[in-house]
Amino acid sequence: MNLQLEDVSIRRGAFALRCSGTFGAGVHLVSGPVGSGKSTLALLLAGLLTPDSGTVRRSGISSALLSLQFPEHHVTCSTVAEEVRSWGLAPERILAGAGLADRAEDDPLRLSRGELKRLNLACIIARDPDLLLLDEPFSALDCAGKRLACRAIEARKEGITVIFTHERTVLPRIGTLWEMERGALTPRGDVPDAIRRWRHAPPYLEYALEQGARPANIALEDVREALCRIRG
Amino acid sequence: MQDPRLRILVTVTLSVAAFASVAGAVATLVWWACFASRRRALPRPTMLLGVIGMIAATAVVAEISGGAGFAYAIRMIAILMIATWTYADRRDGEMIDVFVWLLGDRIGFEIGLIAEMGLQSLEVIRQDVAQLQAAMALKGVRAGVRTIVPLAVNLIVTQLRRSEEQSRLLSVRGYTLGGRICPKFSTSRRELVISALAVLFAIFALIPVHDIFYSYTVKI
Repeated sequence: MNLQLEDVSIRRGAFALRCSGTFGAGVHLVSGPVGSGKSTLALLLAGLLTPDSGTVRRSGISSALLSLQFPEHHVTCSTVAEEVRSWGLAPERILAGAGLADRAEDDPLRLSRGELKRLNLACIIARDPDLLLLDEPFSALDCAGKRLACRAIEARKEGITVIFTHERTVLPRIGTLWEMERGALTPRGDVPDAIRRWRHAPPYLEYALEQGARPANIALEDVREALCRIRG
Repeated sequence: MQDPRLRILVTVTLSVAAFASVAGAVATLVWWACFASRRRALPRPTMLLGVIGMIAATAVVAEISGGAGFAYAIRMIAILMIATWTYADRRDGEMIDVFVWLLGDRIGFEIGLIAEMGLQSLEVIRQDVAQLQAAMALKGVRAGVRTIVPLAVNLIVTQLRRSEEQSRLLSVRGYTLGGRICPKFSTSRRELVISALAVLFAIFALIPVHDIFYSYTVKI
C-alpha cells in the first residue's frame, strides 16, 4: 500500500507547490509553517485537487478520508447525532468517545470549535480508511484533547496516516518525517534518524538534541525518557 | 481599470442605466463588450452558466405569467457582467481609499472600512463554499434539499462568527471612529475616455430620446 507523488506541481497565483515522494504504510508527519502549502498538499493527496503537472499514484488504497483544518466545514446536518450518522457510524459509541454523549440532539454549530474538532476526528478515525489525511488535527484542542488525538492516531495498526501540522508541543509517535517550506516538500526520512535532520524541530526536541539526548521518537514522552537516560 | 474612483462611477452609472430600461441594459452590454477586459472579468463557466440559468428560469416564469421576462433577463445579465468586471479588477484597500477621498477621514473611512470588509468576506465565503464542497465529497453527500438548509446555516453562522471576531479585534486594538490615510490614484487617458463614454451611454439610455424627438416632430 502506498501513495506516490511524481513531480507534482500546482500553481495558484503567486504560490506554487512542488512535491515528489512516496507515502508508505505507517504514520507520516508533514511539518511546516502556516502558509507553506500543507493544506493544498492534503487536498491533493485526498484527490480533491488535480495537479497542474505530474501524477499522484495510489496503490492498494481503497478508501481515503481527509479531516479538514476547520471542523465546521464538515457539518452537513442539523444535529450532532445526525452528523455522526452522515459518516455512516452509530452515534452512541462515537459521542461517548468524544465526550459528547449528552449533546446528541444539539446543533453541531452550537458546539465549540474544540468540541467539533473532537467529534470530527472521532468520526474520521472510526471510519478507519486506508489513507487517513489529517489537516491540522490538533488545532482548537486543549492539551488533553491533543493527547487523546495522538493516542487515537498511534492506535491505527494499518494503512497510511498523514498528519499535516504546525503543532510544536504535543505530537504523536510517527514513522516518517517530511517538511514543507514555501510550497516545497522535503523528505527527512524515518524516525529516529530523521529527528536530527528536522530543520524546524519543536523547541523541546531541539533542547534534547543540544543536551546530547537521542530520543527514539518525537513525542514528548520519548524526549523525556531520552533526557532521563543521559542524566542517569 | 486602475483608478477605483472611475471604476465605481462606471459601475454605478451603468447599473442604474441597466436597471432603468432595456435600452440602458443594451448600452451597458455594449460598453462591457467594447471596453471591459472580458476574459479576465468573467467568472468560472460553471458559475456563470448557473447564474444565467437562474436568471433565465425566472425570466421564463415571468414571461409565462404575463410579466416582462425578457426585459428582466437582459437587465440582470447586464448588471451581472458589470458586477463581475468590477469585482475582478478590484484591489484590497481601494474602497477605503475611494471613500476617504470622497467623504473624508471620519465618515469616509468608516464607510470604506465597512465596504472593504464586505468585499473581502466575499472571497472568504468563496473559500468556505469550496471547503464545504470538499467535505460533502468526502462524505459522499450529494447537494440536495436535505443538505441545502444546514449548509446555508453553516455559511451564515460561520460568517457571523467571523464578523464578531473582527469587530472584537478592532475594538481590542482601540478602533473607535475613522482613521487617517492619504489615498493615491493613478488614472490613464484611456480610463477617462471610456468612463466618459459609460456616462454618455447611461445618459442616452435614461433620457427618453423617443419623447424628445416625438415632441419636436409634433411642434413642426
